[in-house]
Amino acid sequence: MKPRTIKALLKKDMALFIGNRFYLFITILGLVVYALVYFIMPSELDERLSLAMYAPVVPPAFEQLAVGGIDVEYFESEDSLRDSVISGEFDVGVALPPDIMDIWAEGGKPGITVFYASTAAPEITETTTLLIKELSYLQTGQALHFDAKTEILGPDLLGEQITLRDRMRPMLVILILLTEIMTLAGLIAAEIQKGTARALLVTPMRTSDLFLAKGILGVGMAMAQAALFMAIVGGFGYQPLIILTTLFVGSIFVVGTGFLIASIVRDVNAVTGWGLLVLILFAIPGIGAVIPGLLAEWAKVIPSYYLVDTINKVANYGVGWAGIASNLGIMSGITLIIVIGGLLALRRRFQ
Amino acid sequence: MNNNAILVEDLVYWYGDLLAVDHINFSVGNGEIMGFLGPNGAGKTTTVKMLTGQLRPKGGRAVLLGYDVAKHTAEVQSRIGVCFEHTNLYEVMSALDNLSLFSDLFNVTDFDGYALLKRVGLSGREKDRVSGYSKGMKQRLMVARSIVNHPQILFMDEPTSGLDPVSSEAIRNLILEERERGATVFLTTHDMWEADKLCDRVAFMNEGRIVALDTPRSLKQKYGKRSIIAEIASGDGQLNREEIALDEEGTSHAVQKLFGSGKVLSIHSEEATLEDIFIQLTGRRLSV
Repeated sequence: MKPRTIKALLKKDMALFIGNRFYLFITILGLVVYALVYFIMPSELDERLSLAMYAPVVPPAFEQLAVGGIDVEYFESEDSLRDSVISGEFDVGVALPPDIMDIWAEGGKPGITVFYASTAAPEITETTTLLIKELSYLQTGQALHFDAKTEILGPDLLGEQITLRDRMRPMLVILILLTEIMTLAGLIAAEIQKGTARALLVTPMRTSDLFLAKGILGVGMAMAQAALFMAIVGGFGYQPLIILTTLFVGSIFVVGTGFLIASIVRDVNAVTGWGLLVLILFAIPGIGAVIPGLLAEWAKVIPSYYLVDTINKVANYGVGWAGIASNLGIMSGITLIIVIGGLLALRRRFQ
Repeated sequence: MNNNAILVEDLVYWYGDLLAVDHINFSVGNGEIMGFLGPNGAGKTTTVKMLTGQLRPKGGRAVLLGYDVAKHTAEVQSRIGVCFEHTNLYEVMSALDNLSLFSDLFNVTDFDGYALLKRVGLSGREKDRVSGYSKGMKQRLMVARSIVNHPQILFMDEPTSGLDPVSSEAIRNLILEERERGATVFLTTHDMWEADKLCDRVAFMNEGRIVALDTPRSLKQKYGKRSIIAEIASGDGQLNREEIALDEEGTSHAVQKLFGSGKVLSIHSEEATLEDIFIQLTGRRLSV
């Protein structure tokens, strides 16, 4: 490896990157758009609950809902209540039976119907159910007919609700990293397709020099953009060193994946197809950070899960090295395998 | 150490079941221009790839400037220049930046891009993007790139293919200049006229084998048939053509008889071309 060779190759790769308007465009556009998406998302938590209710007779305990931080709107019929939920006006509708007070007076259990919109978040359904049970208890003074046992799994996030924009941050930064897969794979595929790689390979330069230069460019581009994004969106609030380390591992992962894609595609157009496929697959764990509890356990087989989870835990909850060590270890191992696989596949392609 | 710039011994290469290069042997002397001729698929490109370190031979060996290419690829590649048939330049970069990149890869210490571009007739366009160049200009830049390291052996693959006469002539002159400098030139071409004009020796390759290797003159003498063609006026105002083979027993008598008739309007000699000889040897045309 000669420094002059690596420097010349890097200079050339930068010229090719800047000279390719498509890659330059998607890189700048991606950074700007993802930052914009972050900033247009709500920056405050909306902790008020809106409730639609049909109650021919309103039990006194239920009248306290309005003063308890819950917006209640009463409907004249159960049908109109249903319609308001179906139309999306409300996430939750509660229908009380007309003889609710009599049933309670006789010691019976009234049937209360709760309607949930299909788009209602799991937290809302749980909160509403608990709320009604609590109000029933308040009204009748009777204990609930079950024992409640609560066990908190993982970090106790009670009182640490995260705004939607911050929950999106891990997904957005991963998307920025992943976009560089297409850029890097595209640059390599173009070198093969246009024959410039052949011209390089009849010089004293070694194939490893070529890969090293591409790797440095890929890591540099991905890391710089991801770090810039995190700086813009305040992602270095906790443990910046862990965030930078994670982004660095992620950038190497991006390079390895870029090598793999470049080794299998026949032309630059195919890079876009494969790149999008990989981007969609690797972006899935990001959705899990936006909507907690949405992803099943199988999502952990997607390598990017460990990147997203680490960034989420560190940037949003301030988890330290001990809390993410296993994630980083697994991610580093996967990255190593992908980089070695990518190098071997690409070397074979160049020969 | 001998005087051979290139020594090829029993070189073999195959792709799957296809034997692309079939145990070929030849040598090229220092300062010699060797023409490598053959139709598409004859094995020329595979041979050049092995000589330039792009492919590892499956058998035999290629020694360039005393180095076995397979074992000392970097040493060989630092001393050779390769001009490809198809343009493979960095088109978003300028001509100067293209040459500068390769001078860095070859670790050239006395690089003068402006002077090099002047040699190939690209003065004044040094900093233009290559994408704006014509085909001839790109090919001249390809040639400039192949000599950026002052190579001891220059491999040129169809350097004038599809070019206008001015660009072709400029490239031929540059090849001769490189030979004057002391470089050995390995020229792959379909252009028989070009091979005849430039090459000290030519090798005919067909189906992975070298079927003939000699100077153009010797090949013509060995395989060609010389003749003269005369145009003769007939009595009814028509023109008749008569061909008389040279180097035959009755040639002298036939020529005397022709001129004795007093009706010869014009006469010119016919000489076998390398194309004719190739067809005679292989039954195939070179240009297919």
